[in-house]
Order: sequence, then structure tokens, then C-alpha cells
Amino acid sequence: MYRRIILVALVAILLVPMTAGVMAQDMFDPYAPYRGDTIVVSWPSLYHFNQAATLIPQFEEETGINVEVDFLQYQAMKPAQEVELQKPRTGEYDVVAWVVFTKSEYVINGYLEPLANFFVNPALADPSYNPDDLVQAWTETGGVVGGTNAYLPGPTQALYGLPFGAETSIMVYRADIFEEHGLAVPTTYDEMLETAAYITENVEGVYGMTSRGAAGHQIVHGWLLHLSPYGGTIFDENWEPAVESPEAIASLHALKTIMENSPPGVEANGFGDQANAFLQGDSAIYVDSHKIAAMTRDPNQSLVDGKVGYALHPKVGDAECGLSETGGFAMGIPSNSANKEAAFLFMQWMTSPRIDRQLALIGADPGRVSTLEDPELQEMFPEYAVVVEQLECANPNWRPLIPEWGALNAPILGVYVSEFATGNMTAEEAMAQAAEEIRAEMERAGYYGWSSMDM
Amino acid sequence: MSSSFKIRQIRIAYLFLLPAIIVFTLGLVVPLINTFELSFNRLSMGSRWSDRDYVGLDNYERMIEDDHVRSSVGVTLRFAAIVLVAELVIGMGLALLLEKPIKGAAVFRTIFILPLMVSPVAVGLIWRYLLDGRIGLINHYLGQIGIPAQTWLGDPNLAFFSIVITDIWQWTPFIFIILLAGLQALPAEVLEASRIDGANWWQMTFLIKVPMLRSILLVTVLMRLIDVFRALEVIFIMTFGGPGRSTQVMSLHIYKTAFTSQTLGYASTIAVVLMFIMLVLSLFLLLFSNPLKERADF
Repeated sequence: MYRRIILVALVAILLVPMTAGVMAQDMFDPYAPYRGDTIVVSWPSLYHFNQAATLIPQFEEETGINVEVDFLQYQAMKPAQEVELQKPRTGEYDVVAWVVFTKSEYVINGYLEPLANFFVNPALADPSYNPDDLVQAWTETGGVVGGTNAYLPGPTQALYGLPFGAETSIMVYRADIFEEHGLAVPTTYDEMLETAAYITENVEGVYGMTSRGAAGHQIVHGWLLHLSPYGGTIFDENWEPAVESPEAIASLHALKTIMENSPPGVEANGFGDQANAFLQGDSAIYVDSHKIAAMTRDPNQSLVDGKVGYALHPKVGDAECGLSETGGFAMGIPSNSANKEAAFLFMQWMTSPRIDRQLALIGADPGRVSTLEDPELQEMFPEYAVVVEQLECANPNWRPLIPEWGALNAPILGVYVSEFATGNMTAEEAMAQAAEEIRAEMERAGYYGWSSMDM
Repeated sequence: MSSSFKIRQIRIAYLFLLPAIIVFTLGLVVPLINTFELSFNRLSMGSRWSDRDYVGLDNYERMIEDDHVRSSVGVTLRFAAIVLVAELVIGMGLALLLEKPIKGAAVFRTIFILPLMVSPVAVGLIWRYLLDGRIGLINHYLGQIGIPAQTWLGDPNLAFFSIVITDIWQWTPFIFIILLAGLQALPAEVLEASRIDGANWWQMTFLIKVPMLRSILLVTVLMRLIDVFRALEVIFIMTFGGPGRSTQVMSLHIYKTAFTSQTLGYASTIAVVLMFIMLVLSLFLLLFSNPLKERADF
């Protein structure tokens, strides 16, 4: 009897490690080599990122990788990042988020690691990641560098970032006011401007629209939102300024009409001011980032919860659709990070289908088509259906994301669009001046060197 | 006093001066030389110092043709002239008013210098919201007395007026507090004598007090002048130079050129010119009346 027990025990002792060995082989853990490592993430202190940070304990528990987030006000984030990214040896940050127009500048300065280095590594790349499901326009705007015109997709492109906290523009309107006054939801700019004028005139205490209007990058953003659907661009295909085109002039006049139908003080509005005008019930139509949808549901900042409707960015004339903006943020890995692999695993986890859905549930902005199309989520967040449809018409070329954009945006266009909007110059005068200065800036940057060569 | 003792004294004096000289050199002279050097180079943000390209006088040539620089010099000079005169008049007036031991003078003095203690960023935000076209308190109260809402920060003339008012609000106390201290330090005998001679208030103020305060006035104006030319934070927050270029002072233009356009070389060129303008204005003021002159032999 005892002998049998001893035998069984022996067999058990022999078998347990073997089974464990077999199980260990089945349970390949890609996170194991990085367990205990700590990565430092540089994120802007914005709602989406604050919400995403609440999932970090879950990431730490699932992977064993520790994460420290360095939150900074979003305009203060870039200078802080640059200090770290310039360090010749190891920088502090392992993951950085950037506003999409920073991507080319970071790449040309050699700050970022191409993500292909990680996606080709089977030990790191999750086969269920499904990159096809990432919203294509957002991936292209936030992460692709080196294709057509250096910032658009094309055969020579490389991927440096994954979209995270990205956005597009839609129209948000006060459904209650529209219903009360029997107004149809505008689908074209002409209809929208007409409706806006009607509301300003006929609805007590409410202005038709709201807009950004402060000199500098704010008013330029406000204008570009309309330039794209009007069919205009900042440059033609030879990098010559195209801001004097009839489309550009028409879109400037549209901006002016919008500003004339916005609450007083629009000429000093940033994004927050224009959003507040809508959220406080002073404006009836808003055309800008879809991120306002979550803000309308927040009782701390909105008086219009439950009163809003969502529609596509208006189109111009008989165009198929209104070409909307693509902006917001993306994140990538600094070349001087000491923990690139763990950083990649973190980014991959945060943008995976499973976590993307979780992000949506806690009010952050999803970056995947499957999340936006989820019927259950569409029921909770009525703007998703409109966003999915709008993304079909999102325009990654609505703003030139070249390294020189910073020099053209606020310092040149930000001055002349404002000069026009506040009545100091005509649209033609303002754009003629802007075109001249943009060309000089581009020439200094060397854009016309190749075309001037006689070969 | 033996000469070796004197030499030792001088050596000790230099020894004590040394830390200040080191700090001064590292913190001021080196950056100034770098700025001057950079003004002849092209260097973008994010590049290393060693990557700068020497471009000779290109930056200076560009600046002479640059409409933005010209307009920012105009805005700065206009801004400086208006705020300096207004602050001097109001500051002097307040100092004369609160010079005598009236009831509650201490309370008034404290209240008057409060704006000085607020950080410029907070000042910018406070005034930005007070002057907001839609939700601003100023428009609210104007509305109550029947004056229509104004777009304070959205109209080129009103925006300039707004930054002038904000600067006056914050910096008049500085002039007030210095002039008040100066007034109180005036020798009582002289004032007493003038009173016995039958001088009235106007005569005492403009023929006795103001001339005796001349050195203090000059130093105050000089400090304010330099400060006004550096003013950045409040305007950055209130208008960011807009609408158009109506409030784009030189310091803000330099900031944008350096950090928005990322052209550090060209920004240095404009900074050198700003420094030159300040130098000329300061020298002019000092030539007019140098408070250190009497002690120049020191």
C-alpha cells in the first residue's frame, strides 16, 4: 500500500515539471523579457489622454511593464519633448505623443524610430493587432512621413506613429432650435450660411455659428476647415502658394460670414472659446473637431446635453462630400529611448482593438473603424455613425504638414487671415501678401532649388 | 596709508567682486555674444549649435525688407510712449496724493501695489476674461448702462487700447511706490523753507519736489522703458499679437520667429536690433540726466 502511494507520488513529482514545461511552451509571453522595466510616456494633459491613463494600471497588471506618464499642457509639451529628444545619448521619454503637424519636423531632426522595426519582429508584433482596422486617414495624417509631398501616403512612405486621440471635423447643431424653427439640417455651405444668418436674426440670444478667430494658428485652423471643402489648398503641386486661388478667396469669405454670425469676441476666440460658445447655448452651429461631442455630454461644461444633433461637414455646391480635417494626435518612439521594445508593446496595447473599445466606453476617442462601427457604442455615442461616414471624406492634405508649416502658419497666414477677418485688408490683398511671404520662406527652405536646375 | 596696504585692499575688493563677475559673464555676456554671433547665421530649432550656417548679412538684409519687423517696431514704440507717459502721470499723482499721512493711507498703499504682485500670466488671463466679448464682465456692466458689447480684443484699435490699459493697471504701482519712497525721503528742511517762503502747492510740487526727484524719476523711467520693450507674457495671452498685427510688439515677434517659425538666427537678428533700440533710448535718457554722474569719480 505504502509502496503504491510512494510510486504515485514519484510519478507525480516527475510529471508536474514536465506538464509545466509543456504549458510554459504553450503560454509564450511576449511581455516576459520586459517585466519590471519602466517606460516614461509624454502625453498632453487633455481629456482623451487623461482617460487613457486610467487604463495604465490594467496594462501594468497584464504585462508587468511599469509606466510613468509625464502630463504637460499640450502647447508646453513640445518644448519639453525637444529637450529630451535632442539628447545625444538616452533621453527621458520612451513614448511621445505629438500634434500631427509636428511629425515631419521630428522625423527630419532624426528624433523618431520607424515603427517597421517593431512590426517586423514576431516577438513583438501581435498578430491580432489588425492594422487595417486603424482609421486610415488618421494613421496617414499622424504617423506617415516621406510619401507624396513628404507628408502624404505614397510609395516612399514610412510609418513613425500610431494615431491616438485623433479627430476629424463634423457639423454639430442645436437640434432643439432647428426643430422649433422648422429648419432643415444644412448639407452645403450656402445652406449653412443662410441658416446661420436666419438664426442670428430670429432666435433671441443665440447666434447662428461659432468659430475660432484669434490671430495666429487659431484663425488659420478656422479658415483651413473651410478651405478644404471649397477645394482649395495652400500649395499647388509645384510648391507654389495657391492661397490666391478663387477657392481660397471664396473660403475666406465663408469664414467671414461665419464670424459675423458668431457671438461677440469671436476675433479673439481659440478652440476653447468657440466650443464654450456652443456648449453654453450661445451658438447654434459648430463645425470643427468631433471631440466636442464628448464635451456636450459633460454636465460640468455643457448646458446643451441632449439638445444636439450631428451631421456631416457641409459640402460646397454639388461636390460628393465636404472634405473634412484630419488632426489631433499620434504617438511614437524616440530614437534615443532606452526601452524601445517595451514602448512599442505599450503603444500596441493602447491601440489594440480590445483596448480601443475600452477607451470608447470611458469616453476617450477611439482610433479604429470597428469601434466606431460597433452598434452598441453607436447607440451610446450618436456622433460615431456620423464620424465613420465623415472619415470616408477626410482629407489628409487639408493642411501641409511640412517642417516649414510652423513658419507659415501663425507668423504669416495667422496675420493675414486675421487682417482680412477684422476688416483691415481685402481677401485679395491679404492673400497676395501672404503668398509673397510664403514663397520667400519656401525659397529659403530650398523648395525651388530642384525645379530651377536646367537639366 | 601705505601703498602695499592699498593694493591689498584693491585685491580684496576684486576678490569679493569675482563671484558677481562670473555670474554676470556666464548669465549675460556669453548669451549676448552668442545672440550677436547667431544673428549672422542660420540655425533652426532642434539643430545643434555646431550645425549653424554662416550667412553673412543675409538676416539683416531680410530684416530691412521685412514688413512685420517694421510694424512691430512701430507698435512697440507707440505702446512704450503711451504707457510710460500714462503710468508716470498716474503714478506721480497717486504718490503725491498718498504722501501725506491721511487716514487709511497704509490700506490704500497696499491696495495700490497689489497688481504688482500678480504674475504677468495671471494678469493676462484676468484681463482676457474681463474683456471677453461674449462673457466678459466689462461688457456685462457696459450692457447694464446701455452701452453695446464691444469686441475689446477683436478690434485692432480696441485690442491695442486693451493691452495699454492692462499694462497701466499692472505697472503704475511700480512707479507709484518708488516715487512715494522718493517723496518721503526728501529733506524736510527744504520743504519747510519753501513753505515759509510762501510757496503754494503747485510751486512746491513742480519747482521743488519734482526737480529733487529727477534722478529717481529717471531711473524709474529707464527701468520701465526696458521692461516695456520686453513685455511679452500679457500680450501673448491676451491677443497673441492680433488682430492682424495690431498688438504685435517686437518681443512677441522675436518669440514667434524663434519658436514658431523656428528660425533662431533670424530671431537673434531682430533681438540684436531690439537691444540696439533700447541702448540708444537708454543712452539718450542718461545723457539727458545721469544720476551716477556726481559719483563718476567713484
